[in-house]
Amino acid sequence: MFYRLAGVRHTTYRSARQLYPIPFDRYLLYTIVVIAIAAPFLFSPLTLNSYLLPWVIWSTAALGLNLLMGWAGQVHLGYAAVMAIGAYTAIHSVRAGIPFEIALILAGLASAAIGFVFGGAALRVKGLYLAVTTLAMQSIVDWTIVHVPAISGGSQATLQAPTLRIFGWPIESDAGRYWFALAICAVVTSFLLNVSRTSLGRALVAVREKDFAAAIIGVNPFKYKLLAFWCSSFIGGIAGAVLAFCYYRAVTPEQFHLEVSIQAVAMVIVGGLGSVLGSFFGAGLVLLAPIFLNNLVNDIAVALNLPLHAEIISHIPLVLYGALIVGFLLYEPLGLAKVYDNVRNYFFVWPFRHARH
Amino acid sequence: MRPDANTAEVIDLAREVPAHDPGAVPRVNAGLDSGTLITLLAENARTHGSTVAMRERDRGIWQEFTWDDVLSEVLAFAAALDEMGFKPGDGLLVIGDNRPRLYFGMLSAAALRGLPAPIYPDVPPDDLEYYAGNSRARFALAEDQEQVDKLLELRTRAKLPEIIIYDDPRGLANYTAPGLLSWEDLVKKGRERLAREPGLKDDLINRAKPTDAAVLLHSSGTTGKPKGAILQHRRVIAAARNAQAADYFQVGDELMAYLPMAWVGDFVFTVSSGIALRFTINIPERQETVLHNLREVAPTVYFASPRSWDAMLTHVQVGIAESTWLKRRLYDWFMPFAIELERKRLAGHKPGLLSRIAYAIGDVLIYAPLRDYLGLSRAKRAYTAGEAIGEDTFLFFRALGLDLKQFYGQTENCALTAAQGSGDVKLNTVGKPLPGVEVKIDDNGEILIRADSVFDGYLNDEAATQNALAGGWLHTGDAGYMDDDGHLVVLGRVGEVVYTMDGERYIPTYIENRLKFSQYIKDAAIIGAGRDYLTALICIDMGAVGHWAEVNGVTYTSYAELSQRPEVYKLINGVVRHVNELLPPALAIRKFVNLPKEFDPDDGEVTRTRKLRRNVIDERYAPIINALYDGSGAVEHETLITYETGATGTLKRRLAIYEVR
Repeated sequence: MFYRLAGVRHTTYRSARQLYPIPFDRYLLYTIVVIAIAAPFLFSPLTLNSYLLPWVIWSTAALGLNLLMGWAGQVHLGYAAVMAIGAYTAIHSVRAGIPFEIALILAGLASAAIGFVFGGAALRVKGLYLAVTTLAMQSIVDWTIVHVPAISGGSQATLQAPTLRIFGWPIESDAGRYWFALAICAVVTSFLLNVSRTSLGRALVAVREKDFAAAIIGVNPFKYKLLAFWCSSFIGGIAGAVLAFCYYRAVTPEQFHLEVSIQAVAMVIVGGLGSVLGSFFGAGLVLLAPIFLNNLVNDIAVALNLPLHAEIISHIPLVLYGALIVGFLLYEPLGLAKVYDNVRNYFFVWPFRHARH
Repeated sequence: MRPDANTAEVIDLAREVPAHDPGAVPRVNAGLDSGTLITLLAENARTHGSTVAMRERDRGIWQEFTWDDVLSEVLAFAAALDEMGFKPGDGLLVIGDNRPRLYFGMLSAAALRGLPAPIYPDVPPDDLEYYAGNSRARFALAEDQEQVDKLLELRTRAKLPEIIIYDDPRGLANYTAPGLLSWEDLVKKGRERLAREPGLKDDLINRAKPTDAAVLLHSSGTTGKPKGAILQHRRVIAAARNAQAADYFQVGDELMAYLPMAWVGDFVFTVSSGIALRFTINIPERQETVLHNLREVAPTVYFASPRSWDAMLTHVQVGIAESTWLKRRLYDWFMPFAIELERKRLAGHKPGLLSRIAYAIGDVLIYAPLRDYLGLSRAKRAYTAGEAIGEDTFLFFRALGLDLKQFYGQTENCALTAAQGSGDVKLNTVGKPLPGVEVKIDDNGEILIRADSVFDGYLNDEAATQNALAGGWLHTGDAGYMDDDGHLVVLGRVGEVVYTMDGERYIPTYIENRLKFSQYIKDAAIIGAGRDYLTALICIDMGAVGHWAEVNGVTYTSYAELSQRPEVYKLINGVVRHVNELLPPALAIRKFVNLPKEFDPDDGEVTRTRKLRRNVIDERYAPIINALYDGSGAVEHETLITYETGATGTLKRRLAIYEVR
């Protein structure tokens, strides 16, 4: 209904390959970008700091994990550990007087290096065995952080993040931190959007579908699996650093425990494996659904004057949240991205049932 | 067709057209200063050199040619042809689907005062030999290997053409036939020659005169051998100017060139109007991708035959029939609403506020998406011609918000004689004569035309030329009359009027077209000359009837079997009965037969433009026709089939004869 294709023609291959050849998709994107940039002026500080900021940062992280799980097809249950490495590296670097921009790169590199080492295991094991290997990484990193005071500053310690400075400019406002996170998210998003069109993206997909078949057609699974772990961990490290500096503004080991890893995996799966948009949807649902459900259940309880115990009220949202995820996966195993795609298709081929010609 | 009672009126109206002084319309001297297509092309290149003149969809993208590119290719090819001894009056056979280089080649031949003769790519070998001989075609320009093969075979039979130039070299690398050259090589040679001889460019641009041939078009051989009509530069340019004056085209329109190059409309729209009015011409990748490419082009002017409009409508209806619930419901409400609104609007009623609001909602929900889907969202003007368009189809597209209009014309008048104007559309007329075109009805009810765009004669056929242009008027051979508002009504061919045994007068095409307005009937032939009553041979439409059969659980394996299903007979019976209601009782169709195959140009039953060849049909289906009148309920029939390889076979079937009730 809204999609207009008439007159969309390409006179060069460059324009034929553009990301959004259909005007309506482009307008939708522009609108979202404008809203995202203007968010500090449009929404209350509570919305900005508690909902939008974590959404943007976790979307960045989910994109990184999606590169590994969705594109390259490798399970990773230790993504929080990867982020933790980034967060601690960045904080220690800045505390040591290294400028933040460089510290951010260092965070990425440190995560990438360690992720790369554990990723090496992926060359020998697959599927569940890989899951267990990455689980081991989570435990080892957790243990190391807690037990090496040089990193954590002690088992119960909280490391304060120094003020965020970009090219020497201190950024102290909520809006500034949000925009910084948004900028990082934009860079990672455009990288992921373009990955599918590059030889890297195609090689990763080939490895995902069947690694030995990929080897037969000349794609080196060894190289590309490692590359996938490297890239994914690099993004994870950066996301961890941004999370520490912009959102928590401090780090403790609890922020990066196993359940956080599981959450990240949930974001990717619920959102849609191998989908950029899905990473945003997944992060949004996993982060925001519990909050909204909580408010909803509370409101209902108050409105109906239900004599429920506070503990029950706090558990109902969790039950609903679990049901929601199970429901989504039952209804559409390919994730929220596929749900969006279905809706888009419904309007795209309007007033017909499917694309014709 | 009109009832007898109105014959007197036709003659009266004819008298009302003021008598013209032949000297007042100086046709002989008209357009001598209008330049040629070549000089106009050079002018475009000078003033708008870097503007896009043509786009061709090739290898997935639209490759662009600016006016400079076009002129330079045309001149280079002309220079090369000239060097090879292409003489004024020589024919250049042009054969293939629409391709920029074939258009360029035609212009090059015209620049050298030759006869560019575009030919339908699926023409039978005998006709091809006739065309080649008639135009003394020593040269030929072919699209690809398929056409080269055809021309090489022609050469073994007719010694013509001596030189064959091909556009697409695929598959031709190992051909060693003498005189087989590639376009690219020739153009390269031509460019070298142009660089060598500095005065040649101006010489080539100005060599042709307005009275030289711009194109040689062979009319469709509905009756007998085709005739080659020569259209001079000044005539085709006059046609373009007339069309512009009628706001039929505008300067800079965007056009899709997909109709056969051998059809006069394509030449007048794509080449002469294209150059005179600086169109941007878009050429689809292949014939099969026309609909898809149409959506990418979204032309501002679109022409399609009534048959194509029907096909588009069927395409939409089939799509809606299998669409989802909500979409189908919206369509089922809004589309009939818009059609009803359009019907009232044509009858002169102004829609009320509520209707206009409902239409605006429908535009968002249904009409605009459909226009976009068809690639016609930018089409300010949409046209159809060639035969009568079905009322349902016509109203459907007008209701969608397209300004669909009919026009009327013939090869001999550069395709443009009369056209419906915006806001002045009547269902049964073809509109008023274009500015610069005079139309008169003679005593026999024949339509006569006088205009600057009327041609000057057939090639090598003085007798036919004399007949066509007797008295300074073009004799179209069409029967028609002017209605009270000055709109031209075309009934059919003068020679087509036939009488039943009781003397009832009718034009078979007229009834056939009414039948074909149903989506279920692809072709029909009305029988009844000298008989007691009318009967029909019917070819069902495989797409629409096939879909209907699927929906209604009617099983079938082939066209032949589907056509003979009793359920299908019942379906067609309903259509025939509906048409009978529109006809005088004496002309009602009493019986019909569904034929087990479609009419096919390869079998000679229809022409390339899908006009019936009645003599062939009468002869081939004689046993069926006899059975329609001798009271039998079924008939054994053997159909002769020509396969695409040229082999023939027969198909034996028992066909039911159905009495309409």
